[in-house]
Parts: sequence; C-alpha cells; structure tokens
Amino acid sequence: MNDDPVIRTIGLCKRYAGKMAIDHLDLEIGRGSIHAIVGANGAGKSTLFRILLGFLPASSGEAFILGRDCRSLTPHDRERIGFVNEEHTLPGWMSVDAVTAMQRRQYRHWNQETFDETIGHYNVVRTQKVSQLSRGERAGFNLALTLAQQPELLVFDEPTLGLDVVAKRAFLETLLYSNATRDCTVVYCSHQMEEIERVADNLIIMERGALRNMSPPDDFRARVMHWVADIPFRGPDARLVPGLLEVQRIDGLYHYLVLDQGEGFAGFLHACGARDIHHLPVSLDRAVNGFLAKHHAVPRAA
Amino acid sequence: MARTQALPIQITTGDPRPIGRQIIDAVRMRIATGDLRPGAQLPSVRGLAQQLTINPNTVAKAYAELTAEGWLESRQGLGLYVAEPRQRLSSTERDRRMDEAIQSFVHEVIALDYPPERAMARLDKALAILGRKTA
Repeated sequence: MNDDPVIRTIGLCKRYAGKMAIDHLDLEIGRGSIHAIVGANGAGKSTLFRILLGFLPASSGEAFILGRDCRSLTPHDRERIGFVNEEHTLPGWMSVDAVTAMQRRQYRHWNQETFDETIGHYNVVRTQKVSQLSRGERAGFNLALTLAQQPELLVFDEPTLGLDVVAKRAFLETLLYSNATRDCTVVYCSHQMEEIERVADNLIIMERGALRNMSPPDDFRARVMHWVADIPFRGPDARLVPGLLEVQRIDGLYHYLVLDQGEGFAGFLHACGARDIHHLPVSLDRAVNGFLAKHHAVPRAA
Repeated sequence: MARTQALPIQITTGDPRPIGRQIIDAVRMRIATGDLRPGAQLPSVRGLAQQLTINPNTVAKAYAELTAEGWLESRQGLGLYVAEPRQRLSSTERDRRMDEAIQSFVHEVIALDYPPERAMARLDKALAILGRKTA
C-alpha cells in the first residue's frame, strides 16, 4: 500500500460552450477513508467523475487516478476502480444473470460471496431483465456488481438517490462495515447532508468547478457561526460585513451567518451599534447550505 | 470477565452538536447517573458505530476523548471500561456546586415547614446510602 493520492488533478479545466464546468481545479484525495463531495447542481461533480474515469477529455490540465493518467487507463487500471453512476446504466435487454456472468468473466478478482451478500438486500430475481427492475433494485444490483470486483477505489455518483429507507440503510451499512469495503477508498458525491454527517471522514466542497473546502465535516461546521443582534435603526451595509454568507432580518433582529470570524465578530457588531448580541453554533446542513447559498444562482429580480 | 453493557443512546443528525460530541455527552451522563458503573465494559468501536449507523472513526474519536478525560480506561486487548471515579472538578468549583446544592435543599425544606432536627435526621439517612456506594 502506498501513500500516493488516489485522485489528483492539476489545473484541470473543462469548458462547455463558454461555461467553465471545471475551473482550474487542483484536487488531491488521499488513500483510505470516505470522502464526500458536495456542491450545488452544476458545480462540476459529475463532469469531474467523467474526466477521472477517462470518459471525457479535459480542456486543459492534468488528472490522475490511482497514479495513472486518466486519458490512458488500461483494463487493468479500470479493474481497480469501482464506479457506480447516478443513472445506474446497465444493459436493459439482458437478464440479471447474464449481466452478472459477463462481469464475472471480466474481473479477475470477482468475489461471488460479496455479490450474493450485497444483492441479498434487494428483491432482485435473477431471471428478470434489467429493464424490469425498479430504480432501487437496479441501484442495488449495480452496487453488488461493483463491490464484487473488489476495487481499491470506489467512486459513487449520488448512490442513494431513489433508494427506499431500508435499501438506503443497507447501502450505508455495506459502505461502513462490510469486508468488501474495508481497505477501500470511497469517493462519492451526494446532496444528503444527513448521510454525509454519518459516514464521511472528509468533506470536499466544490463550487463552480473549483475546490472550496477539504476538511473533516466537523471542522467545516465549526467555521460557520450564526449571530443574532439587535441593531437599532439600520444594520451595516451587507458588503461590509466580514465573512458574510447570509443575512436575514426577522422580527426586527438581524441574523448573520458568517464564515471564519470567531468571537471577534462581536466587536464588529458592537461597532455597528448592536445591543444584545448572541451567537450559536450551526448544524452541518445549515453550514453547507449557507456556504453554497452565497453564490447560488437566484432569479435576477430577487 | 465483565460482559459488554448495552449503551442505549441516541444521536441526531442535523444537530449543532457534532455526532462525536453527542456520544461524549451521552456516555458522561450515563456514568454520572450510575447507569454505567465503574468496571462496566463499553460496546466496541465497530459495535457502537453499527448500532448508530455512523462512521467507526467518529466513535473511535469520542472514545479517545472520554479516555483522555478519565471517564474510560482501556485494558490492553480487552476493550474499554468505565474508570473508577476520581475528582474531575477543581476544589473551588466543587465548593461552589456544594453551596448551590445546599441552598436549593434549604429553600425546599423551608417551604415544607419541617423542623431542622427532623430534616437533619432524614438527610443523614439519605447520605448514608451515598456512603455505602462510594465505600
């Protein structure tokens, strides 16, 4: 086992007709543990995955996965990477058994036990055609196929989207406690903060194709603080508030969500004539939400 | 060998307190109230993680902090156990809390209109149980 990052990009860019989907991204994801990538819709997460897996050429910059250049991955490299995409794209006209047999032939380290154990959580009949499976069943089948190949690196794009509560829990348990994932590095993107709080060792935030945060989720949460102040007359110009993520005026009180300000923010509020200042910690969900809301698209008139 | 004691605690996601913090608070509370006795064995890191459906690393960090604070002790190769209680408060803080406890007791007794001697006798009896527990 080496300490090289499992994923590394240097000045990576991807341009779609005038829009930068990936904007000079420098990213380094270490080996081991579970890394969650969050970002608003269109932050570039899926594009990044496609480039990393060699499905899409970058406009400029470099990308490496397991130390290999993403533009020239060999079947041997691919064997070491398990990828579950958002749509769970599998050949709809084939039966579950036929797809399984095909995968078993392709992967040298195929583990039937892992496959059986994972698929056991889903009500999948093996003679069924893939097109007849529900979204959740297809997701479970896809997950079982991917884990059975015994990859070193698992990449998931929204893995629990569309799963029912039981299947979702089975998925999380597989991810966290199964032998199949014990020595695996997991990189996944999700919008489910509740889930990220439970499973992620590392929180990666992407915004408009760039890296905005890379730290344990609790460290990120601690950077965001909610302040409430009673400011008679008018509050300060929003452009002058340091680290401002969000401001709301509720029942005459000013609510500020600020980033990286510490206790010193009280001094700023005092200087603005504030009385009765309170501050409180926020949940991970609120912290990420406030962070992403700052630059989120809003209708022009708003 | 002591058997692992169940740790019936709950965690909430979406809470301002990180999950690790919630575990620390819950374990301390159970030790303070006597639900977890000195010498009781805690669930394994993996076991508690599975019980709560969370990352085992989160449990490991919480256990490490509880051990560093002296609430738990690890026995080589056996697991984690509730440590024998030792004084965790400074003597000033201890005095302050004792004063507080006496004040609130006295206020309650005043309202009951109980003669002081009878109150003392009852208090003696109540504290005798405490004496047996710590002996």
